[in-house]
Amino acid sequence: MTAALSGIAVAARPQVERRERALVRDAQRGSVQALEQLFRLHWPRAYRAALLVVGDAAAAEDIAQESFLAAVRALDRFDRRRPFGPWLHRIVVNRAIDWSRARALRREVAAEAVAEPAAAGREGGGRAEELAAALASLGAEQRAVVVLRYLLEYTPGEIAELLDLPRGTVNSRLRRGLDRLEEALR
Amino acid sequence: MNVQRLLERVPVDREAEERAWAVVREAYREREPVRTRVRRRLVLAAAALVVACVAAALSPPGHAVVNAVRRSIGISHAAPALFRLPAPGRLLVSGGGGTWVVSADGSKRRLGDWTSAAWSPHGLYVVAWSGDVLAAVDPSRGDVHWSLARPHVSFARWGGTRVDTRIAYLSGRSLRVVAGDGTGDRRVAAVVSAVAPAWQPERHVLAYATARRVVLVDVDTRTVVRTLHVSGARFLAWSPDGRRLAVVTGRGVDVFGARRSHIARRGVRAVAFGPGGELALLGARSVLVAGSEGLATVLRLPAALAGLAWSPDSRWLVTSLPGADQWVFAGRHRVLAVSHIARELGGATPALDGWEPGA
Repeated sequence: MTAALSGIAVAARPQVERRERALVRDAQRGSVQALEQLFRLHWPRAYRAALLVVGDAAAAEDIAQESFLAAVRALDRFDRRRPFGPWLHRIVVNRAIDWSRARALRREVAAEAVAEPAAAGREGGGRAEELAAALASLGAEQRAVVVLRYLLEYTPGEIAELLDLPRGTVNSRLRRGLDRLEEALR
Repeated sequence: MNVQRLLERVPVDREAEERAWAVVREAYREREPVRTRVRRRLVLAAAALVVACVAAALSPPGHAVVNAVRRSIGISHAAPALFRLPAPGRLLVSGGGGTWVVSADGSKRRLGDWTSAAWSPHGLYVVAWSGDVLAAVDPSRGDVHWSLARPHVSFARWGGTRVDTRIAYLSGRSLRVVAGDGTGDRRVAAVVSAVAPAWQPERHVLAYATARRVVLVDVDTRTVVRTLHVSGARFLAWSPDGRRLAVVTGRGVDVFGARRSHIARRGVRAVAFGPGGELALLGARSVLVAGSEGLATVLRLPAALAGLAWSPDSRWLVTSLPGADQWVFAGRHRVLAVSHIARELGGATPALDGWEPGA
């Protein structure tokens, strides 16, 4: 499994970041088209990441949407030398963790009626569905680390920076998370 | 097992993407460039300084005298208690004493400790809210059918058809919509003005206000039906036939329909369309009705008025005089008033949330 996981391609990142910088610049100058391209570029991963951490389609939609709104609000102040993706992903994943922590505390009488099952359970099928179910058995922090590593392709060092955690903690959460996933999918 | 490949196979909800894009695009269009914002902040700071100086000049004792004068101003022939309503129907009111339904025979039922409430389109339910809770309440018993926790709920409005309804509400500064059964709660717009949204009757089209425009959106398809370039909207109301939308601003009332008309009158706080399509305006101290010959004053009092609602039979308009703790019913040929509202319903004089047909 380790061999399969280690083949993460990150070579295309500089190109993507250059393109993003141009889009951010145009969006700052008022181009709706540039903003839409940024949105379309990042929405699938932002939504998927939120969905895999919270396991609730409606909440994932809200979290991903909120994160883009935060980006729009901060657009004028955004430093174009920084990459847009990691900044957005940090917001998405931290909000998703916060949502998961707060879920138990929420006073939501009609919660079962309002929350929708995760989209993965409805359409994914097969192994993806099993993986989403296995992920749901992990704690929110572990899910976040796994999602950042294997969906958003960050290195453990980058994840440590994004989540403001010691690198050792990231590694141990990853290890434990993968062990649990492997066990669940065996 | 290739975790990465499996995670990437988790499907993305395309409808969610389109909904989110509609919200993000609107937020982007509403955003102000930094320079304008800084300049505006300076202007606001200067204005705040002026207000602070004026406030300092008006001493608390002086203010108390004004309040005392206001309290003494009211309608002298007012009934000492609300024995009955002058027309059939049920009044929904909310205030410090909670939310109440007042029936035509004068009987009152307390629905609960809610901040405010609104009727469902056919008066079968009430949507009520307080703090971080939105709830659908049975008006005859006060039972809560469902509730939803969202931060800082305000300005809920219930619309739609008899069989398929939606509730729009503000959560903080964002506009959300939930189905009448409490399911499918979604954000429709990220940043809106603190103005009650208004449903086009018998449709799922919602009008809401932002700082610089009024947007009509089909909440099912998330498509913007129409954008009205009106800045600083304070109040929105649809005519019962859904053909006209009245938008109150600081400059007067703009009525959008087959053609746009403008009623130039400053200080309008609210408007209400009667069941027959008559438009009533609430000014600071007067109530007017717009007719073919212009505006007719139906009530003028030397004290501040609050709230406005038509009776279901179109014969009466009700407003309140918080300074005198009275409700005032203005009919075609007479004015009735009722005192001691706060004593009967608790708290300060409750706000008028609506007058619906029904027992």
